[in-house]
Amino acid sequence: MSRFRIALALAVGLLGMAGLALAQDAYPSRPITMVVPFPPGGVADLTARPVAAAMERTLKQPVGVVNKTGAAGAVGMQFAATSKPDGYTLLLALSSISIIPEADKLFGRPPAYTVDQLTPIALISADPTVLVVRTESPWKSAKDFIEDARQRPGQISYSSSGIYGTLHMAMELLSHAAGIKLRHVPHAGAGPALTALLGGHVDALASGPAVVLPHIKSGKLRALAGWGESRVAALPDVPTFKELGYPDAEFYIWAGVFAPRGTPEPVLARLRDGLRTAVADPEFKGAMDKIETPIAFKQGEDFARFFAADARRLAEGVRKVGRVEDKK
Amino acid sequence: MTIDRAGGGGLALLALWVLWECRRLPLGSWHEPGAGAFPAALALVALGLGLAIVAVGGRATRLVDVDWRETPRALVIVAAGAFLTFGLERLGYRPSVLVALLFLVGAVERRGLVPTVAFAVGMAWGSFYLFNTLLKVPLPVGPLGF
Amino acid sequence: MLETLQNLALGFGVALQPPILLYAFAGCVIGTLVGVLPGVGPLAGISLLLPATFGLDATRAIVLLAGIYYGAMYGGSTTSILMRIPGEAASVMTCIDGYAMARKGRAGAALAIAAVGSFVAGTVSVVALMLLAPPLATFALRLGPPENFALLLLGLLVLAYMSGGSMLKSLAMAALGLMLGMVGIDPMSGYFRFAYGVVELGDGIGVVPLAVGLFGLAEVLASAGQPTPPKVQKPKLRELLPSRQEWRDSMAPIGRGTVLGFLIGIVPGSAHIISSFVSYAVERRLSRHPEEFGHGAVAGVAGPESANNSATSGAFVPMLALGVPSGPIPAVMLAALMVHGVSPGPLLIQQQPALFWGFIASMYVGNVMLLMLNLPMVGLFVNVLRIPYGLLYPAILVFCVVGVYAVNGSVVDVWIAVTMGVLGWLLRKLDFETAPIVLGAILAPLLEMSLRQSLAMSDGHYAIFVARPIAAVLLAVGAALLLLGLRAWIARGLDWRERLALAEKGDAP
Repeated sequence: MSRFRIALALAVGLLGMAGLALAQDAYPSRPITMVVPFPPGGVADLTARPVAAAMERTLKQPVGVVNKTGAAGAVGMQFAATSKPDGYTLLLALSSISIIPEADKLFGRPPAYTVDQLTPIALISADPTVLVVRTESPWKSAKDFIEDARQRPGQISYSSSGIYGTLHMAMELLSHAAGIKLRHVPHAGAGPALTALLGGHVDALASGPAVVLPHIKSGKLRALAGWGESRVAALPDVPTFKELGYPDAEFYIWAGVFAPRGTPEPVLARLRDGLRTAVADPEFKGAMDKIETPIAFKQGEDFARFFAADARRLAEGVRKVGRVEDKK
Repeated sequence: MTIDRAGGGGLALLALWVLWECRRLPLGSWHEPGAGAFPAALALVALGLGLAIVAVGGRATRLVDVDWRETPRALVIVAAGAFLTFGLERLGYRPSVLVALLFLVGAVERRGLVPTVAFAVGMAWGSFYLFNTLLKVPLPVGPLGF
Repeated sequence: MLETLQNLALGFGVALQPPILLYAFAGCVIGTLVGVLPGVGPLAGISLLLPATFGLDATRAIVLLAGIYYGAMYGGSTTSILMRIPGEAASVMTCIDGYAMARKGRAGAALAIAAVGSFVAGTVSVVALMLLAPPLATFALRLGPPENFALLLLGLLVLAYMSGGSMLKSLAMAALGLMLGMVGIDPMSGYFRFAYGVVELGDGIGVVPLAVGLFGLAEVLASAGQPTPPKVQKPKLRELLPSRQEWRDSMAPIGRGTVLGFLIGIVPGSAHIISSFVSYAVERRLSRHPEEFGHGAVAGVAGPESANNSATSGAFVPMLALGVPSGPIPAVMLAALMVHGVSPGPLLIQQQPALFWGFIASMYVGNVMLLMLNLPMVGLFVNVLRIPYGLLYPAILVFCVVGVYAVNGSVVDVWIAVTMGVLGWLLRKLDFETAPIVLGAILAPLLEMSLRQSLAMSDGHYAIFVARPIAAVLLAVGAALLLLGLRAWIARGLDWRERLALAEKGDAP
C-alpha cells in the first residue's frame, strides 16, 4: 500500500515537473501577432514582414503581421502597449515611438501610451536620415546650406511627413545644432513630402535614404549630408553632420521589436534568441537588401541603451520645438 | 414645427456646440491660421445657414405630417446593429452575428425557426469564411472560442 | 509613335502570356468581389492582399494588384445601383441615380451602362497614360499647395450643383460635412480636435464609415420598417439591357467623365474620390433635363462611373513616370515594386520596359476581362433583388458592419457607421440631401491643409495665390463660374418680378 502510494507520489511529481518543464519551453505554442502601427507598404510594414517570416522559421510558429493604423502610429502602439504580456503580441515600432507620448504631454493631454509600457527586445534596422535638395538648387554642400540659412533665417523651406514626425524632428535637431532657423511646411506623409520637394514647392527635405536613392541616382536630387554616426553605405561621398561639426544632429529612422511590459523573462529570452537567429538568416538579408535597408541588429543591453539615448534626444527635441503658436 | 425648422435648428445647435468646443484651440492669425480657425469659421457658416433655414422654413411640411411609421422597426434595427458592434470584439464575430440575425430574422421578421437558424448560421460562418479566410481580414474570435 | 507601338507590342507579348493573364484575371475577380462588398474598397483590398504577392515576381504582383484596384472600381457600382449601398466611397454618387433607375425597373440598364462606361473610361485613360505619362507627370508635379487649394475651392463650388432640392439645404449639409471633416489631429499644429481621447479618431471620421452609414444603413433603416417592402420592380430578361435612347443619353457623359476623371486622377493627393462627385455636378449642370437627376437620370450613372475608372489610371501617371505616389493606393503599389527589387523612379520606364509596358497592356486586357465578367453577371446580380427583403436587409446590415470593420480593423469605425446611419435616416425624413455631407467631409481637411501649407510656404502672404500662374488661373476660373452662377440666380429673380408686374398690369381693368 505505502509503496504504491510512494510510487504514485513519485509519478505525479515527475509528471508535474515534466509538465512544468514543458510549459517553460512551450512558448511559443500558438501563433504570434506582430502589430505594425503603420499602413501596408510603408517602411515599418516592409521591415516587419521579412522579420516575421524569418521569426516563423526560427520559432516554428506562424507570426502574423497585423496593421493597426491611425494617428501617426499611436493607435497600434496603444493597442500593443495594453495587450496581455504573454509574448503572443509583439510590436514593430519606428523611432516615432518616443515622440508621440512627448507630443501628447506638450498638449497637456493624457498620453495614448507611455514608453514604459513597452519592453525593448531588439533593434532591426537604423537608417540615418539624409538632407536632400534639388540638383538645381544653389547649395552644393551642407556648409553652403547652413551658411545660407544663417544669413536668411526662416527663408529656406523644408517639407516633412507631419508635425512632430520623424522627418520633422530630424530637421529640428539640425536646426538646434547649427543654430539656424528654417521654414517648416508639414505634409501628409513621406510621399507627399517628397513630391513637394521634387515639384519645387519646398527647398529641402530630411528623408530616409531608401526612398530618395532612385532620384539621387537619376540626377534629380542631391544629398548634402547625413544624420548618422557613419556614412550611408549607398552614398559614400555624403558626409555626416557629425563630421561637419554638429554631433548633436544625430537621427535615425529605426525599426525595433517591442513587447508589452511584464512579459516573462524566459519568453523575452526566447524572443531575443529567435530574433538573433532570424536576422542572420540569408533570406531575411536578401529581403532587406531589396528594400535597401541595411540591417543594424542590437539587442538586450545594447538596444536598451540605444533606445534610452534616442528617446532622451527626441524628448528634448520635442520640448524645444514646443507648440507652433507658442513661438511668436 | 416644420422639417426645415427642425433640421436647420439642429444644425445651428451643433454649430454652437462646435464653436464652444473651439475655445480651447488657438485661433492664430490671418497669416497663420491656428488649429481652431477653420473649425470656428465653418461653424459660423453652418450657424448662419442653419438660422437661415429656420427663418424661411415656415412653409415646409410639418413635422407631424411626415410618415414616421417605420420608426419602431428602424429603432429595433439600430439596436441590433449596436449590439452587433458592441459584441464584435467582446463576444467575437460569429456569436454576435448569430445572435443579431436570430433576433432580426426570428423575432422581428417572424420567419420560421428552421429558416431563421439556417440563415443565421449560414451568414455568420459564411461571411467569416469569406472575410477571414479568403480575404485575410482578421475577424475577432471571442471568449467562446469561435 | 512607332516606338510606342513597338513598346506596346512588347507589352502585349508579356501581358498575354498565360501566367500573367491568369494573375490579371484573379486580380479582376478579387477586385470585383472587393468592390461589391460594402465598405471594403480598393485600398483595403490591395493592402490585404499585398503580403500574398511577396512570393510572386514583380510583373505578376503588380498586375494582380492593379487588377484588384480597377476591378473594385467596376464592382463598386453593383451594390450602389441595386441596394443604394456604396461599394466603396467613390461609388456614392452612383447610389443616387443608379438606385432610382433600379426602382423604376431599369437596374439591368444601369448596371450595363456602368460597366460599359467603366470600360470605355478605363481603356481610353490607359491610352492616355501610355502616351502622355512622362509630360503629364512633370506637369502634375508643379501642382503644389496653392494650386491644390484653388482646385479644391473649385470642387467646393461643385457642391452647389450637386443636388436638385433647395440650394440652402444642400449648402447646409455641405457645411455639416465640412465640420465633420475637422475631427482628428491637425497636421499643421499637432492638436487633437474633437477626438475626446479616442485615439482612433486621430485620422478623422473615415470616408468609408461615413458613406456606408449615410447611404447604406440609412437606406435599410428607412425601408425595412415600411408596411410594404420597397417596391423594386423585378425586371424581365428583355429589359436587362439599356434601350437605344439610354445608350444615346450615356455617350456624352461617358466621354466627359473620362476626361474629367483622368485629369483629377493625375493631381497628387488623395482626392481621387471627388472625381465622381465633380462629374455628377457637371452632368447635372450641362443636362437638358436637370430635373431628372435624383430620379434616375442615365447621365447620373454614366458620368460618375466613367470618372471613377479613369481617375484610377490617372493616379498611375505620377507613380509610373516619376516613382512618386499620388495617393495611398499608388503608395502601396510602389511598395510592392520595391519589395520585388524594382526601384520605382523616373528611370522605371527605361530600366524596366517589360514591366512598364506589360503593366499597361495588362490594363487593357484587364478592362476587357472586367467587361466580360460584369455584363453577363448583370442578370445574376439583378436576381439578388428577388430575395425577400426581410432576409436581405439583415444580410446587408451584417455585410456593412464587417465591410467597414475590414478597412481598419477598428470597432470605432463601425460605431461611426451606425451613428451615421441613424443620422442619414433622420435627414431623409427631414428631406435633406446626404451626398454633400460626404463631399464636404472629404474636402474640408484637404482645403484646410493646402491653405495653411500655402501660407507656411509664403510666410503668411496671401499673394502667393496670385503670384503663381496656375493657381491664379484656377482661382479666376472659379470666380468666373461663381459670378455666372450668381448672375443666373439674380436674373431669375428679376425675371420673376417682371412677370409679376406684367401680370398685374394685365389684370388691371
